[in-house]
Amino acid sequence: MIRFRRQFIIGMLALVAATIGVLWLHCKFHRLLPDYSFLTGWGLFASMLVLTFYNARKKLSFLPLGNSELWLQIHIYLGFFTVVLFAVHLNFRLPQGWFDWILATLFALVSASGVVGLFLSRFLPRRLATRGGEVLFEKIPALRHALRDEAEELSVGPDAKSPVVGEFYTRRLASFLSAPQNTWRHLVESRRFLNALLAEVEDLRRTGSESERTALDKLAVLIRQKDTLDYHRALQLALKIWLFVHIPLTYGLLIFTAAHIVFVFGFSGGAR
Amino acid sequence: MNGPLPGPDFDAQNYARPNQNWTCGHACEGAPCRLGPDDKGRCRATAECKPLLETKPGETKGRWRCTRPGGACEAGPLPDGSCCRPISKCSPRPTLRLIRGRLTLATVVFSVATLLIVLGHGAWRNRFINPGPVSLAHSGAAFAALALTNHLNQNCGACHAAGNSGPNGMLHASLHANPGIFDIKGLVLAKTAEPNAIDEACEKCHVAKNFHQANAAPISCSFCHAEHHGKVMASTTDLNCDFCHADSAKMAVSRSTPVIHHFAEDHPEFRFISEKMCDADTLKFNHALHLTGTTIPKLPGGEKLDCAFCHRPDSAGAFMRPVQFEQHCRVCHSLQFDPETPQLMLPHGSAEFVSAYLRSLPKQYLDLGAKEDPATANAFAERKLAGLRSQFGSGEQLERRVFFSTATYGPQAQIGSLSGNTRAIFPGCVYCHEVKESPTGTPQITKPLIPERWLSHAKFNHAKHANISCEQCHDAVHSRETVDIILPAKETCEACHSPRGGVANSCAECHTFHNTREVRNVQ
Amino acid sequence: MAALQTILERPQRWDVAFDPNMDDAAVDRLLATAPFSSMQADKFPKRTPLREILRNDARILRFRKGEIIVRQGDYGTSAFLILNGAARVVLKPDLPPALLGRRATGKKGIWRTLAQIWNGWRPPESISNERLTPDAGLGARQDEAEVRVFLQDLPRVLDQHRTEQMKSGDFFGEIAALSRMPRTSTIFADSDDAELLEIRWQGLRDLMKYDDALRSHINQIYKERALASYLRATPIFQHLDKAQLDRVAEAVEFATFGDYDWSGEYKRLAQAGSVRPEKEPVIINEGDYPNGIVLLRAGFARVCQKAGGGERTLNYIGAGQIFGLAEIAHNWRAKDKPIDYQYSLRAIGYTHLLIIPTRVMEEVVLPSMPKSELPSLVESPQKTDDLPPPESVARDKIGGEVLEFLTENRFFNGTATMVIDLDRCTRCDDCVRACASTHDNNPRFLRHGPSAGRLMIANACMHCADPVCMIGCPTGAIHRESFAGQVVINPATCIGCKSCFNNCPYDAIRMVEVRDEAGEFLVDQESKPITKATKCDLCVENWGGPACQRACPHGALTRMNLNNLDALTRWLKK
Repeated sequence: MIRFRRQFIIGMLALVAATIGVLWLHCKFHRLLPDYSFLTGWGLFASMLVLTFYNARKKLSFLPLGNSELWLQIHIYLGFFTVVLFAVHLNFRLPQGWFDWILATLFALVSASGVVGLFLSRFLPRRLATRGGEVLFEKIPALRHALRDEAEELSVGPDAKSPVVGEFYTRRLASFLSAPQNTWRHLVESRRFLNALLAEVEDLRRTGSESERTALDKLAVLIRQKDTLDYHRALQLALKIWLFVHIPLTYGLLIFTAAHIVFVFGFSGGAR
Repeated sequence: MNGPLPGPDFDAQNYARPNQNWTCGHACEGAPCRLGPDDKGRCRATAECKPLLETKPGETKGRWRCTRPGGACEAGPLPDGSCCRPISKCSPRPTLRLIRGRLTLATVVFSVATLLIVLGHGAWRNRFINPGPVSLAHSGAAFAALALTNHLNQNCGACHAAGNSGPNGMLHASLHANPGIFDIKGLVLAKTAEPNAIDEACEKCHVAKNFHQANAAPISCSFCHAEHHGKVMASTTDLNCDFCHADSAKMAVSRSTPVIHHFAEDHPEFRFISEKMCDADTLKFNHALHLTGTTIPKLPGGEKLDCAFCHRPDSAGAFMRPVQFEQHCRVCHSLQFDPETPQLMLPHGSAEFVSAYLRSLPKQYLDLGAKEDPATANAFAERKLAGLRSQFGSGEQLERRVFFSTATYGPQAQIGSLSGNTRAIFPGCVYCHEVKESPTGTPQITKPLIPERWLSHAKFNHAKHANISCEQCHDAVHSRETVDIILPAKETCEACHSPRGGVANSCAECHTFHNTREVRNVQ
Repeated sequence: MAALQTILERPQRWDVAFDPNMDDAAVDRLLATAPFSSMQADKFPKRTPLREILRNDARILRFRKGEIIVRQGDYGTSAFLILNGAARVVLKPDLPPALLGRRATGKKGIWRTLAQIWNGWRPPESISNERLTPDAGLGARQDEAEVRVFLQDLPRVLDQHRTEQMKSGDFFGEIAALSRMPRTSTIFADSDDAELLEIRWQGLRDLMKYDDALRSHINQIYKERALASYLRATPIFQHLDKAQLDRVAEAVEFATFGDYDWSGEYKRLAQAGSVRPEKEPVIINEGDYPNGIVLLRAGFARVCQKAGGGERTLNYIGAGQIFGLAEIAHNWRAKDKPIDYQYSLRAIGYTHLLIIPTRVMEEVVLPSMPKSELPSLVESPQKTDDLPPPESVARDKIGGEVLEFLTENRFFNGTATMVIDLDRCTRCDDCVRACASTHDNNPRFLRHGPSAGRLMIANACMHCADPVCMIGCPTGAIHRESFAGQVVINPATCIGCKSCFNNCPYDAIRMVEVRDEAGEFLVDQESKPITKATKCDLCVENWGGPACQRACPHGALTRMNLNNLDALTRWLKK
């Protein structure tokens, strides 16, 4: 992992250096300059705009605006630095008043969701690769449908002869196979549900006839496949859903920040 | 279907399109139609084919032919040219990306709407954007009434121009601020404590801008008095004062004030000490004698004369009332001129009255005698007057003695060719006062100038120092001369008012920035 | 799971004749024409008699004046003999790309690039009229089953380009057919009655094998035209002067192995699961006496070693690489301890190679090389299991599973294979969206494909070193952008014949039903939808190179040259 380690080292060094720099500047200037918090505020706003521009760059892939990988590295480290800038801008105090609290909460949510997204992006793909199999997210419903059809055909179709298997399907498998299941369980890597279901199959298998055993073996394969499909869906969904917090709130934050700029200038000492 | 996931592995015929916003409703069954929804999410499926009208040469009507891509259907198109196999429309599903886009749009709309609604509503607006509690002095009914009389808005608008209106007004104010929104240079170069627009609002109620020094640069109110920091406005700190007083450039202009950072650190010695000033008063008084002299009589109650007998605090307790002759001095200095008639005391306060009293001595004696024994009053008076005449020679001489005798010598006299001081019989006015000869009649006694305040630029409260005895600060016991200013040196105050002494030692403890009536000399 | 077997009928060589219309009369006519008239039929084996070769591996084509026979830069599999009439070779300058059915694509201008910002939604696969219209100068006509492309303004072409006429009896195109190199010039028919014999490479190879005259003739041409400059560019011959080079060129033998049409057969066999290294044609066997070094000219070969009952792949080598130098150099220096070939070399698909005999190497080449460039002595000529042979470094670096995976699926063919690291990929589809944004909202690859461990080869055109897709395009729509550049398809001249689609062994080409800008399917007069072949074009028209690679935020996707393992080794270590 030479390249990624190098990215990490460079990024961390830059972040630490920038943090130290900005803290030193803070100590030096925060009493000297009367409009100091206006200046840190503009720095914070500029930083947030650069961070938000990543969203635009992704939509403008046809323009040679630079590597998305580089942009993401900048986004991550600049994001952490923005948290530092935020603390500096607030002069390390908690906000007071309704509006300021909402603004700070929005910022905290955006930053926190970003950190969560970073961890998800680094840890979930490995789990997906380890689990095996690969599926496109949009194709999951169709595959699920096909799986269910096959299982249905096997258990209660015109050629299915075993009432035991049919009953098992109707009672347990029909609901399991018709919709995504166990999303949260898959996120915490719990195999309990699958093991329990397979244990039931094993149970039936023990007392089944030859043809029933064949059918149940095939059903077991289908159950495993459905579980893996659910796993993929759960993790891929997680990898997409965190952005549902991060991006809308960013734009909300920008709106509130614009209002904040109007307020602080409108109510500043120099406003007429 | 042997792998970890069901097949098919991947589609060799069609691309997957995650960039689209809508997917065909039948995609979840694995059979999306080849048309796909349009960008508004409407299903565009109509029928399986678009029949083609084929007219062979010689035919007038022609036949409709099925043009289904997978192969013609058996039934063929209907006679009117429409396909016999319509496809039922699906309900296209939005992709996650579209949902996210809508969520973003909804968040933006919601934010803007919330802001406009809350800001448009007068009462909510102020509570919403208030960044910190306003001090009690600037909130509440009293302030509202005051604002009303001064034609000010009763809420934020009392101080902030932007507070007078809704979002439009705020926007307008922000665009016209100084330094403005995009004026980064202005923000960087802004000078600390420069007066600004809000100061004008302060001055509507507060008459505050008569600063303590005429040539001091004007300072913004909010430099020392920061609002929105709590129910009680924070008091000023030394840093506020240091802004000018620790700045040697500014102090160079002042000519007399050195650079000061903190009281305990580098506050200069009090000027009366450093410049060795003297009390230029003409009233002679020896504190040491009065406090420690063995010849000093006891007070009528029997106690010894102490500081508190003459120096009484005023009603507030802060300062001492002026020492009055009638209250404090006459107890011992009765101004009697005849031991035989101690009840006859000269009036105090006006040289003319003294002169008049002396001329009215005959009547005084008569009244005195009449009090004791009316029958012998005349004889008494005559005897006394005769005695005076023999002692002094004339009324004028007596008067001269009254005005010009000290305890040791009497007035100047010329007997024959000899001139010099006469013998003292009693201490006269000049014993304490400065008496000047007047060519035309009554001598002039210089009015004693006892200042109400010695340190006019500082405030002091004796009541707060009640736990200290007078001698700890005022070394009167050792003061023999009138010229002594019996006030403590800086180190006396610093003993307690310093970090090591533990008592509050900020500039504001003793000094006020604003020139208010209390600290001006009042006659 | 019981081992299932699918029994396939072994495909025979002449199951599908080149031209079913070749009848006896035509073959007789050919046998009467030179050079076939001078060939001895009894020299040909019973399995492949001369007559049958001509019947099944050759066909007679008729051209009208101005019709293009071969295009410069195309990959072709046939040689041509002019039977009647005349043809012209375009010498200098080459015909402009538009006349060859290609689009002269430059990068999109700055305004067009910026204008994409305002691209609204477009229906899938909608194509503008502009892109559908071929550049002027080219016409197409349907001639029986074939589509013929002809030059419309022939006098002007003749005026502006230097050409040379070829007459009946002239042979051309054989080097390209045999060596898998692109055609060096454009040749078009110069008379309305031009009749050409097209011999496909299988026939040509057999003819050369059994007819000395043809073989020496073609060898001569090859050596004259192609070999000398190639040898001069090869690193180990750097230190030879002209005389020595000529000696080497004299001694060189060239050979082809494997199946030129490997893609079709490979696809079939691969789906049946019966592609094994042991079945591939052997070029050199492990343990053979080293009688020459093998210099690979085109195609790929697999370096294997016996392991267990089968062969273990250690590495694969591509064009320009050498096999056997270590053994021969060792034998030359340590004459008392001679060794055999340490590994086997098997052709993968199709290989065209040069063999430089040991004698020439020892007498001319090896003495001229400085000591530092000579390979070190082979330490242990006997294989022992515990000492890893040097070749296996490749296998160690990327792992046996990945190496087998790449070789079995022939992925090493790609110069721009899309490799996805599944450990880093967050399945965000940014790559697909970027591809779509640069191609009018149509993605040109599928983010899915075979995988081995954490590596996935996605279903995107790999821009192969050996582009089988380019063989057989009737209009020249599929072409290389520049020499050894990207393979792109010009939608204006694509007629939807599916040759490339069928040829591609990786299913990288997809036929799409094009629509107009309102979203209606474009149909022909018989209401059949018009299809065009589409595939990844490596973003030739766009600034910044492949958009997919640039758009991946996590460094999980890259377009990698797998002709050798350097890039992959580096990438796996990242």
